[in-house]
Amino acid sequence: MAILLQLLLSGIALGMIYAVIAFGYQSTFATSGTLNFGQGEALMLGALVGLSLAGTISGGPYLNYWVMIPPVLIFGALQGIVVERVAVRPAIKTRSEFGWIMSTIALGIIFRNVAENVWGRDDLPFPSPLPTEPLHFLGASVLPMELLVVVGALLMMVGVEVFNRRSIYGKAVVATASDRDAAGLMGINTSLVITFSYALSSMTAAFAGVLIAPVTLTGASMGTALGLKAFAVAIIGGLNSGLGVVVGGILLGVAETTTGFYVSTGYKDVPGLVLLLLVLSVKPSGLFGKTTIKKV
Amino acid sequence: MTRLRALSLVLCAALGGSLSAHAADPIKIGVSAPFTGGSSPMGLSMRDGVKLAVAEINKAGGLLGRQIQLVERDDEAKNERGVQVTQELINKEHVVATLGYANTGVALASTRFYQEAKIPVFDNIATGSSVTQQFLPPEFPDNYVFRNAAYDGIQAHMIVEEAVVRRKLTKVAILNDDTNYGMLGRGDLEKALAAKGVKPVAEEKFKIKDVDMTAQLLRAKEAGAEAILTYAIGPELAQVANGMKKLGWKVPMIGSWTLSMGNFIDNAGAESEGVRMPQTFIQEPNTPKRKAFIEAYVKAYNPPNGRIASPVSAAQGYDSILLLAAAIRQAGSTDGPAIRAALENLKEKVDGVVTVYEHPFSHDNHEAITANIPVIGEVRGGHVVYAYEEERKNPLRLEKH
Repeated sequence: MAILLQLLLSGIALGMIYAVIAFGYQSTFATSGTLNFGQGEALMLGALVGLSLAGTISGGPYLNYWVMIPPVLIFGALQGIVVERVAVRPAIKTRSEFGWIMSTIALGIIFRNVAENVWGRDDLPFPSPLPTEPLHFLGASVLPMELLVVVGALLMMVGVEVFNRRSIYGKAVVATASDRDAAGLMGINTSLVITFSYALSSMTAAFAGVLIAPVTLTGASMGTALGLKAFAVAIIGGLNSGLGVVVGGILLGVAETTTGFYVSTGYKDVPGLVLLLLVLSVKPSGLFGKTTIKKV
Repeated sequence: MTRLRALSLVLCAALGGSLSAHAADPIKIGVSAPFTGGSSPMGLSMRDGVKLAVAEINKAGGLLGRQIQLVERDDEAKNERGVQVTQELINKEHVVATLGYANTGVALASTRFYQEAKIPVFDNIATGSSVTQQFLPPEFPDNYVFRNAAYDGIQAHMIVEEAVVRRKLTKVAILNDDTNYGMLGRGDLEKALAAKGVKPVAEEKFKIKDVDMTAQLLRAKEAGAEAILTYAIGPELAQVANGMKKLGWKVPMIGSWTLSMGNFIDNAGAESEGVRMPQTFIQEPNTPKRKAFIEAYVKAYNPPNGRIASPVSAAQGYDSILLLAAAIRQAGSTDGPAIRAALENLKEKVDGVVTVYEHPFSHDNHEAITANIPVIGEVRGGHVVYAYEEERKNPLRLEKH
């Protein structure tokens, strides 16, 4: 029983890491129908900027962990604006269906190379703001930092949701998401909303970066594998459902740890991918996604 | 067709003639290793060790009156990239020999081309037992692959000796990554354990960049493992050590030499304390040669805290070019077969950092490091030190073939 609990806890912690990255895919998809395939790199940049401010690698620490978060968020937002301006806007303007895919991937590679030159290529330890002694309950153990990932991810999602529902700016985002042309006719500056959604998306990724860095390792290549897993989570959960990514993430995380233990660690990644294929063939919009009818 | 061949022969002769006309042209030696990614501490330390030796050789007048020029290429620890680099080094750069390979998979994929081109290739880090065993007689009359690293057969034996014999830990779990390195190393560990009549209670693997080791560790723990034997590289090994702490489960961790990598020690922090591994070289100035090497390295590259990121790679890199240079000097030419023949019958005693090499190779033996050379290292306070005092006091261990 203790083992199952441990597997569930570790799976949830891992799943929330995926979910918090997957969340970033959503906000841009909702407003513009495009995704930033450099999401993993946005996460990596956030983590490394955070490490420069709160760690000792560039002569710091200049700020403590908590104070470091707002500058990292601002950095993330700026980075998102760059991605939108450089990679996405030209594609949307020319109504190119797929141009943004290549350009966001390319930009992601550029960001990774820049990071390798600035921060080096090695994995670096990220100082943990919380005690590193694990907490034990019912025979299972969990790191305080893992709890922070779960709480932080949920808080962030709730924050964005409240912003969308309560503020006038959020309503502009929702309106653009439901019908971009109609929103434009109603006087909403939809291209500004799209820029904003990219800023928001990279901001969440940067936040995710500093949140997960103390549990994973920090380095220029940290985002690549995680970004891909998170993309699978976004597809499983549905690209337009906040609840979907949480459930999708937890499903994938728990599937990985339990298969690893009960079947074989060699097959750890298989159930997640099978789940992905199943969802795609049975409910292509994702477990919690709304089916959209595309009129042509 | 024949005319075309004749023409190309003439062309080759003309080109060859024009090349040899410039006797003062530098001798090009390729360096292929990962300078990026999780294996980069090995590749970079090795390269720096090689550069240190080359600077010394060039300062003393070079080789055969010519300077050595290194052609460094990043193989990114990827098999396919290694093959690309290999073809560039052979066909475009026309190297005389190549040194390097931190990754068994890359070495296995790349050395074939040197064998075909009859160019000696010197593996100075990668330890997969099969790296030097691919081109053996009778199928291949001559083998062009040499090595001065402790191959996995030796290391697996030492790991098992340390765990099972010295520390009487007979219930062991093997944890390895799913690369060629990890999987082949696991095979060597199984063999070495079987020789002692021990069967591992669990054998688990993980992927590069895996962030969660809960499932693997729980399986080992549930199987009642008293020690964990590892075959993987730095960052993932750190995740294993950190994962053990999270589960509140502490058993000795003993594994291949990669446990001495800086990116394991830094990322595992306090959890790296007491971890043991075989080492051909420990950053400890216990011979005059080692003292000079460590001082020169620290002065030239100023590594953080004065700690070489991968001391073993740096020392083996330094020694590999000394061995190669001795062979070129003896051969009196940069011709591949002549260098190979000289390596296989090296008359000069080469005073290296790891050991003093006396006839390190023969026609049928291409391993310079013998089982008696490596020692057991232990991580203490973030540094790799000698685990056993008698090994520290007895630094010079000559090859026993």
